Formats: sequence, structure tokens, C-alpha cells
Amino acid sequence: MQAAVIIVLWLLLALFVVYPLIELILTAFTGDEGYTLAPLVSALGNGHHLRAFRNSLLLAFLVGLLGTATGFLFAYTAERAELGRAGRRAFGLVTLLPLISPPFTTSIAFVFSFGPQGLISHDIFGMQNANVYGLRSTLVAESLTYFPLAYLALRPLIASIGGNLEEMAFSLGSSRWHVFRTVTLPLTVPGLANAFLLLFAASLADFATPLILAGNDLPVLPTEAYLQITGMFDLKAGAILSLMLLVPAALVYFAQRRLVAGRSYVTVTGKGGGQALHQALAPTARLLLIAACASICIFILYLYALLVYASFVVAFGANDTFTLASYRAVFTDGMTAIEDTLIIALIGMPLGGLYAVVVGYLVCRTKFRSRQAMEIVSMINYALPGTIVGIGYLIAFNKEPFAITGTALIIIACYIFRYSPSGIRTTVALLQQIDRSIEEASFSLGAGSFATFRRVMLPLILPAFFAGLGVVFIRSMTAISATIFLISINWTLVTVRILENMTELSLGIAAAFSVFVIVVVLVVTGILNFFLRRMTSPELRRSLSGYSA
Amino acid sequence: MTQSSVGIRLENVSAVFRHPDRGLVPAVREIDLEVRPGELLTLLGPSGCGKTTTLRMIAGFQEPSEGTIHIGDKDVTRVPANRRDIGFVFQNYALFPHLSVFENVAYGLRVRRMKPVEIAPAVDQVLAMVGLDGFGGRLPSELSGGQQQRVALARAIVIRPRVLLFDEPLSNLDAKLRLQMRDEIRKLQKMLGTTAVYVTHDQDEAMAISDRIAVMEDGRISQIGTAEDLYRRPASAFIAQFIGRANLLAGTVVERSDGMVTLETAGQRSAFRSAVLAVPGETLCAVLRPESISIGNTGDGMVAKVASSTYLGDKIEYSVIVGEDALKIVRFDPPEAERFEAGEEVRIRFPREGVQLLPAKR
Repeated sequence: MQAAVIIVLWLLLALFVVYPLIELILTAFTGDEGYTLAPLVSALGNGHHLRAFRNSLLLAFLVGLLGTATGFLFAYTAERAELGRAGRRAFGLVTLLPLISPPFTTSIAFVFSFGPQGLISHDIFGMQNANVYGLRSTLVAESLTYFPLAYLALRPLIASIGGNLEEMAFSLGSSRWHVFRTVTLPLTVPGLANAFLLLFAASLADFATPLILAGNDLPVLPTEAYLQITGMFDLKAGAILSLMLLVPAALVYFAQRRLVAGRSYVTVTGKGGGQALHQALAPTARLLLIAACASICIFILYLYALLVYASFVVAFGANDTFTLASYRAVFTDGMTAIEDTLIIALIGMPLGGLYAVVVGYLVCRTKFRSRQAMEIVSMINYALPGTIVGIGYLIAFNKEPFAITGTALIIIACYIFRYSPSGIRTTVALLQQIDRSIEEASFSLGAGSFATFRRVMLPLILPAFFAGLGVVFIRSMTAISATIFLISINWTLVTVRILENMTELSLGIAAAFSVFVIVVVLVVTGILNFFLRRMTSPELRRSLSGYSA
Repeated sequence: MTQSSVGIRLENVSAVFRHPDRGLVPAVREIDLEVRPGELLTLLGPSGCGKTTTLRMIAGFQEPSEGTIHIGDKDVTRVPANRRDIGFVFQNYALFPHLSVFENVAYGLRVRRMKPVEIAPAVDQVLAMVGLDGFGGRLPSELSGGQQQRVALARAIVIRPRVLLFDEPLSNLDAKLRLQMRDEIRKLQKMLGTTAVYVTHDQDEAMAISDRIAVMEDGRISQIGTAEDLYRRPASAFIAQFIGRANLLAGTVVERSDGMVTLETAGQRSAFRSAVLAVPGETLCAVLRPESISIGNTGDGMVAKVASSTYLGDKIEYSVIVGEDALKIVRFDPPEAERFEAGEEVRIRFPREGVQLLPAKR
């Protein structure tokens, strides 16, 4: 039984992870006379490609810095500034919205705010033909989109440093600033490095923001690869560009893995950390931090408000009459895209959740020869930038024996193997908390392995299943970088419609689509969270952590 | 209540582990062990001695790499844990966190497809036995550590297993609760008459709870017997020092006659009744319990020097120097006037009977 499952999983991984990657590499290195390095050499000699490569790295580096700084600011303020209820709500909202929004949201709002007809650039400062495009706005937009990743990674870390350590430093007579500089900050350094790498990778892979905001002066690799393939129909150039992306992406991935694996800094042990220091901050410092966070919160909420406003007017900046025309367009012309997206998401969701739980269980709780290899291979599509995965699928599945281009299957497979790994991680993390003796207890009481799985393990890993469902659904609704290469006349996606409306300058409809996606995602994740909470009572969660080995 | 008890027999059992760096590492080496029907036998030893591995092989969580295991007349060496009819109590309780106390205890009965109408009274009965009536509806996380261990105990005995296995069940409890729980476990086990194997590294616990104790060292059983056997007649220096406290006084055999062996240490002689075969010139160790050595200002006996004295209310502990060896001496209920101070010269006397003479430590 187990052997059969493992064989099936390996066949799927070979087909949907390994095969497309190999096809991509082969395409890049195939010349007229067999395999050759010539395409790579000419690509490296191509000034435009090299510029895109340089820009990608520069942008990723800057986003890494700015986003990590913002994430740290929010995480530190959240843990130390004793926020009130309203403050905590605002933090929660502002750090959640970017993670569940469709990819162009920030970019569209930036155009509304700082573009030629922009609210700030035109209406407030009276600028004519303000130029919103370029490095600066791309940098800020990406940082605002991805800083929640840094926030989520850093916050538990700062929480765990709290209490005793800082108190001890205080008792030795340090000032607050001194404690921050000599205790808190050094202990956070590995976490900051980790957050930086996360953001670097996210920015490197980001396709949507630069496509809208980078303009002609700032070509980056994902957009260049896209333009080569869709504009010039040059699959080989696209393949080579995406491979140029692979090198820094792989380096960052392995650096991050090492950092996380060998972490020697404070981790959550559940003991001894205690409450954060009461009044860890001087009153003025506290006010400054809160003011800084509040202005960023307000700015982000302002961007979303612009988006909602623009979706309800005839033409933003030119004709501010209220209308529902944009939404009418969404639910008439856009209806096929909505249906397709929902069908794909609803099929992908349970399959992805199941895949995640099964792989997580096998990797964590069973022993088989290729266990470690499976763990690594299952993570590949998750770690690779979407552009690489998309072009790989495009090349691999456009021909026999696996000609599935143009079907829903190719998009669903792409989502499952690209986004389920986060569900695998959750399953593994959960299983690691469940001591093996729990299974042995079941065996000793006379239950066989199937009864043990059904009566004990399944109820305990159900939360991971639902978390996996949520991630696959959110990404199915919002992803574009890989699937832009996989859509067809038969199957298209909401995110692609948003892009089309942007390029046709139907900004109101693009905004309406974005608002629609955000609402759907909020509703569905709300429902999933409800079930999750029903199934894992606080007592259960507490007792689970009590059993951690 | 009682069912016919069965014995457990391990013959030539070994276990090896695959260590990532060191290759195959033996954890248990060629053990022979017989647990008598109805007795509670404790596997006692320091961590890493193989006691838990031995227990897990009896449970069926792990297969021996060599040898056979019998429970009753049945060879269970290759029988999986869920078909061995055992009750296992884990160190960390291993309660199912998503099930109530009642459902935790009922689990084994449900797996055995007992009728629901029979399950409820059976569960209630064992919950009462462990003093947890009325707790059935709680989740494990809502109980204290001691209560959780009672649930684990109830869950193990409700299925009326042929064998009860305990893996350091009390090590996560505080000292006071530990004493109370070990008495309760012993009482329950005697009442049920179930054969039990109990693993611990705490010699007090082992002596209090067991019919017999098997002391393990480095994957082997070095001695097996009642608590008194082990204390009075330790087979090795390791056991002498592991069971209770012991001074090991090394001396050279100078004379052997009439069942008496005379040892010389630092130029001073002492004689012990012993059947040990020793030739003059050989070095032996006398196992001297601290409470068996008497101490005084005058009379015969060895000359020693007091290094330290510690007043502890019901007793005084002395450390005295003989030659190059330091000996511990305990005086219970000492008269108020009797007190030897550090630096003082004293006379110490050893009992002539009942002292073990062991080959000297290598």
C-alpha cells in the first residue's frame, strides 16, 4: 500500500517537476547542431539581457533591504509597543491584505495615486504627465507587497527574545537603547538575514509589479522572458532568460536553507522566555515607532481605498461619477475567467491539500530509501521563480507524449506542485510536535497502522490539511507568474484578465476585478479558518504543544 | 479480577542501532531474562544501558536483531505490538490530545470492537480505580501531570493486558507525587496480578516497587535479584555503588584461614569472613556501606583522619582518610556529645561478617 503510494508520487513528481525543468534546460542549450553553450554565450553578450539581469539583482537587493527594515519595524512595534486593540487590528489587516491580493493590486493603486492622472501627483501637486514608472515606484510597491513575509518571520523571533534576556540586561544597568543595540538586535541578526533572503527571492521572482511599474528603462528578467515569448515568440530566448534567473534564485534558496537549518539563535522553546519586558520602550521611542507604523498602515489602506474608489467611478481622475459599469463588465465579459479560475481553484484545492498531507506524512513519519530525495524534489517548484516553472511547463507539455497545453489540467498541476509544498511544511511541522509515542500508544492498545492513522493521526493533522487548502486556493486566485504561460482560449484566469484590462487601459475594470478577488479570498479563507478553529480547540492546540518532544 | 498470569522469557536477545556516524551500535547484547508470572520486575540502570530498548522489544515497538521473546508459551518475537496484548505506560504519558479522558481510556476497547454498552461501565470502573471518577469529560490538557499519568495507567489496564510495561512512568512528576504514584502503581499491579516490567534509573524507586530488580550495564544484565540481594551481595563494584552508597576499600590479601580473609591497606589490617577464593598478594575490594562502619576515639580498628563532618539532624556524615582512600561514614541518631571534627584522628571498625570482597577495579 505504502509502496504503491510512493511510486505514484514519484511518477507525478517526475512528470510535473523534473521533466519540465530538464526540458527547459535542454531547450536553452540546444543549437542547430545538437547541444551547445552558444546560446548562453550569446545571451551573456547581449547587453539588453545583461541589463535585465543586473536590474533584477539590484531591485531584489533593494527590496530585500527596505522590506526587511519595514517588516522588522512592524514586528518590533507589535511585540514591544503595547498596542491597543485597534492597533493590533490595523497591523493584522495591513500585513494580511498584500498576501491575499492579486498581483497587480499595489501597482494599479500606484498608478491611480502617482500616475499622470494620479490623486497625489496630479490633483494635489498639479503635476502634468507625472512619471510613475521606474525603479523608485517598483521598489516601494514591491516592498509594500512583500514586507509581511519579513514581519511574519521576525515577529515570533522577537517575541521569543523577550522577557528574561532583556530584563537581565536591564538589571545590569543598561539603558533601553543599549539593550536594544546589544541584546535584541544581535539576537535577531540571523532572522533578519533570513527575512532578507525571503524578500530577495520574492522580488527576484516577481513578474506583475515590474510589468506594470518598471517601465521601459528598467527591464528585469521575468518580464523580459515573458516579452520574448509572447511578443517575439522566441521560446529559446525566454528559456535562457529564465535560466539566468535560476542561478541567483538557487543560491538564495540554499543560503536560506543553511541559515534556517543551522540556526543557533533563540528559538521558541515554550520555556523561560516569559512575557516581554514591561515598558521595554521609552515613551518617546514608542510614539515614534507607532507613528512610523501608522503612516505606513495609512498609506497601504489609502492604496486599497483608491482601488475600491476607482472601481466605482466612470474614469478615475477624469470623470468621478459613480457607476457600477466596471462590476457589470466583470460579471459579464469577465464571467468566463471567473468561472475558469474558480473551477481550477476548487479542483486544485482538495487535491493539493491531500497531496501535502500525504507527502508530509511519508517524509516525516515513514522510512523509505528515497525519502530525502522526495522531500527535496517536492520543494523545487515552490522554490523556483514562477517564470521558470511556467516556461518549463510550456515547453514540456506542448508536445507528445504529454500534450496537455490548453487544458485545465496543466494549470491545476502547476498550482498543486507549486503551492502545496507550504502545506507539506505545515504537515511536517505539526507531525514533529506529535511525539512518536502517541502512535506507539495506539499500537500497544491493539490498533493496527490503518486504525492508528484514521483514529489518531488524521484528526491531529487535519489542521495542516485545511491550511494547505487555504494556500492553494489563495494562490489559485492570485498567481500569475507561471500560469500566464499556460492559459489558453479554453481556460483563462482572473489575474490574466486584470493584466489585459491594464494594457487596454480599462483601469476601472482591472480595479473591480482586484476588489472581487480580494473579497472572494477573504470569504473563503474566513470559512476555512472557521472550520480550522472548530476542529482545533484552544485546549487541543495547547495540549499539542505540550507534547512536543 | 485476577486472570491467570503469564511469564516473559527473553533468550539471547540483542539489538543494534544504525548510527549515522558510527555504523551499527549494539544497544542490547545477548540478554537472557525470565520474568515470573505475576511479578513486577524492574530493569534498572544508568541512561544508555539498554533498559528502555529491552522494554520496547518486549512491547514489540522494536524487533530484536537476534534472539527470541516469549510471552507465556507464545513466541512473539515477530508479532507486532498491536497483537501482543500488552499495556504500555509511557514516560510522557502519550495521551491522545484530541480525545477526552473517557475516550482515551475507551480507545483500546473500541479498537477491540467491544459493545458500547459494555465500554462505559468498564471505563468508569478503571477511572474509579485510579481515582479519577468524574474526569471522563475532560481533555488531557486540562489535567495535571499526575492526573495525566493516572489516565495513561487506566488506559493501559482497562484492556486487561497479559503484561504491563512501564517506561520511566514517574520521571516527569515532582518528588512528592512520585512517591505516591509508585505506591499506587504497585498496589494496582498486585491487585490485578498482572506480570509487569518496569524501567527506571532511580534505585530508590526500583527498590520500593519491585519483586526483583535486574541491573543493566552497557547492554547487559549484570545482576538480577531482590533489592536485598543486590544490596547485601552486589556482584560488582558498579552494582555496589549503583544500589545504595558504598565505600570500596582496596587491600592486599595477606592471610586466608578459617574462612577469614585478612586485607592490608596502608599498612593496617582488617579481617572479613568470606568464602572468596583469594591468594595472598592479590588485591581485593571490600564493599563497606557507610552505615556499617563504626567510628570512635579509642579501641582497636584502623587509624583514620577526619576530613569533614556534616551535621544533618537525624545523622552525621563523616569523610575519613585511610592511607590514600577516602571513606564515607554515616552515624544515625548520634549522641549530642559525640562529634568528631576535621583533622581529628579516629579509630574506625568494619563489620567482620557480611562484607562482600570483590576483585579490584581495573
